[in-house]
Amino acid sequence: MSLQLLFDALALGGIHAIAALGIALIFGVMRLVNFAHGQFIACAVFALILPSADALAVLGLGRLPAPVLVPVILSVGAGLALAAEALVFRPMRNASPVTLMVGSFALGVALQNLLLVLYGGRPKAISLWAGLGHPVRIGSAEVPLLQLIVIAAIIVILVGLALLLRRSRIGLEMRAAAEDFGMARMLGVPANRVISGAFALSGSLAAVVALVLVAQTGIADVRMGGQIMLVAFIATVVGGMGSLSGAVVAGLGIGAVSALLQAGLPPEARPFRDAFLYAAVILVLLFRPQGLFAPVGTRTRV
Amino acid sequence: MSKLAVHDLAVRYGKLTALAELSFAVAEGERVFISGPNGAGKSSLLAAIAGSVRAAHGRIEMDGDILSGLSPEAIARRGLSMVPEGRRIFAGLTVQENLMVGTGMRRDRGAIADDIAAMFAAFPILAERARAPAGALSGGQQQMLAIARALMTNPKVILVDEPSLGLAPKVVDEVYDRLTGLQDLRGLTMIIVEQSSARAARVGGRMLLMRGGRIIADGDAAGFAARDLLAEAYFGEPA
Repeated sequence: MSLQLLFDALALGGIHAIAALGIALIFGVMRLVNFAHGQFIACAVFALILPSADALAVLGLGRLPAPVLVPVILSVGAGLALAAEALVFRPMRNASPVTLMVGSFALGVALQNLLLVLYGGRPKAISLWAGLGHPVRIGSAEVPLLQLIVIAAIIVILVGLALLLRRSRIGLEMRAAAEDFGMARMLGVPANRVISGAFALSGSLAAVVALVLVAQTGIADVRMGGQIMLVAFIATVVGGMGSLSGAVVAGLGIGAVSALLQAGLPPEARPFRDAFLYAAVILVLLFRPQGLFAPVGTRTRV
Repeated sequence: MSKLAVHDLAVRYGKLTALAELSFAVAEGERVFISGPNGAGKSSLLAAIAGSVRAAHGRIEMDGDILSGLSPEAIARRGLSMVPEGRRIFAGLTVQENLMVGTGMRRDRGAIADDIAAMFAAFPILAERARAPAGALSGGQQQMLAIARALMTNPKVILVDEPSLGLAPKVVDEVYDRLTGLQDLRGLTMIIVEQSSARAARVGGRMLLMRGGRIIADGDAAGFAARDLLAEAYFGEPA
C-alpha cells in the first residue's frame, strides 16, 4: 500500500463524491433522480472549447486564466442547471418521481445530441492546465501536482458545502425541504428558491467534475458524462437516497475501492475491475437495502 | 369584519368529495374547535385553508384578502400558520433549527431572537434540547416543538390539527395549557381540530361539528355535551 495509491484513491473517490452530491442535492429537495447530470458535466466540458467537428480541440473559454475560468465554468454549469429546471422540471413539478426521471432522461438525450451537432461525435484531445502534470515528491511517492490540487479543491468544496448547508438560511431551507417540502412551504419557505438553489449548486458541482475530468484525462468526449453519472448514481443509492453525507461517503468509497482494485487485482483480472466493484455494491445493498445512511424520516417516537 | 372567512368551499380527491360547499367565519382572537368523526373532512378543511390542498371551488379570505389559489408559502407570508396532523417536525434538524425554518420571511429580524427566547420560556424542555435533533424528542415534546415552530412565523391565525393525537392525557393537558396561554398572550385567532368534544368543552371556545364534508352544528363547545348532536354526528340521524 503505497502513498501513491492513497492519493489515487482520494482523487478518484473525491470526484465521484462530488458527482454523487450533485445528484443527491436535487433528489433531496425534489425526489428527482436527474439522469441528465452526466450531460451537465459533458456540456461544461465542451463549454471550454470552440464548436467544431475537428479531432483537435481549440480552446475557447478554456483560454481564460484559471482564476477567471473556474468561476466562469461553474456559472455555466449553474446556468445550465437553472435553465433545465425552469424549462423542463418546473412545468413537471407535480408529476410523479417516475415521470420526472423519464423527463431527465429525455433532457439528457437532447443535450447529448446538441453536443453531437455542435462538436461531432469523435473524442477530442484537449489540453487544459498542461503545466500541472509535473510530479511532486512526497515522501517515497511521486504525485502529479494536479492530483494534489484536485484533492485540495475537493476538500474545500465539501467543507464549503457543509458550511453552506449548516450555517446559511438557504442551507437550512434546503435541509428542511429535503425532509418535508410541504411542511417547509407552510412555514413560508418558497419552493422556487429552494429548488433553484439546489439546481444551481448541482450544476456548479457538475462543472467542477468537468474541469477535473478534462484536466486529468485531456479528453473531451460527448459520452463522458454517462460513465461517471452511473457511478455517481450508484453512490447515491449505496449512500441512501437523499442523504448528502451518504452520497459523499459512498462516492469516496466506490472511487477508493475502484483505485485499490486497479492496483491490487492480478493483471489478468483487471479488465473485470468494475464487475468486482459492482459485486461489492450488491453485497452492501443486500445487507442495507435502504443504503448506508438512510435519511432520518419524519417518524415520530412516542 | 371576520378574520377568516370560508365561502362555499369544496374539496374533491378524484370522485371523492372531502368538503361539500362549506361556509363559516371566524372572528379575530376567536378559538374555534372542529370536531366530528373520521372522514368528516376536518383535516382537508385545514389543508385547504393553508393552501396545501387545492379547492375545487369556493373562496377563503383572511382580513378580506382572498387566500384561495395562493401557494402555501404565500399564505404563510400573510400570517397563517399550521401545526399539522402528525406534527411533521424536521427530525434531522435540531430543535433550534426547526424553530428557525419559519423565520426566513420575517422582516422584523431583530424580534426573531426575542421570539426564540419567548418560545424557550413557554416550553422550557425545548430550551434544554435546543441542540438535539428534533427526531430524538418524545411525542409530547415534538408537539410542543410543532406549536412553537408555527408561532415563530409570527402568525395572526394558527391552525392546529389534532394536537392530542397519540399523547397521554396529562401531556394533552399541558399542550392545551401552553396553546391557550400563547393564544391569549399574542391575540391569535385559532382553529383546532379536536376529536374529543369533552376536551374542547373543558378548554372552552366555539365548536363546529362536521360530518360528511359539511358543518352540521355550530355553537359553544360547552353546550355540545348536553345536546345529542355529537351522537348524531357519529351515529347518524337520531331515531
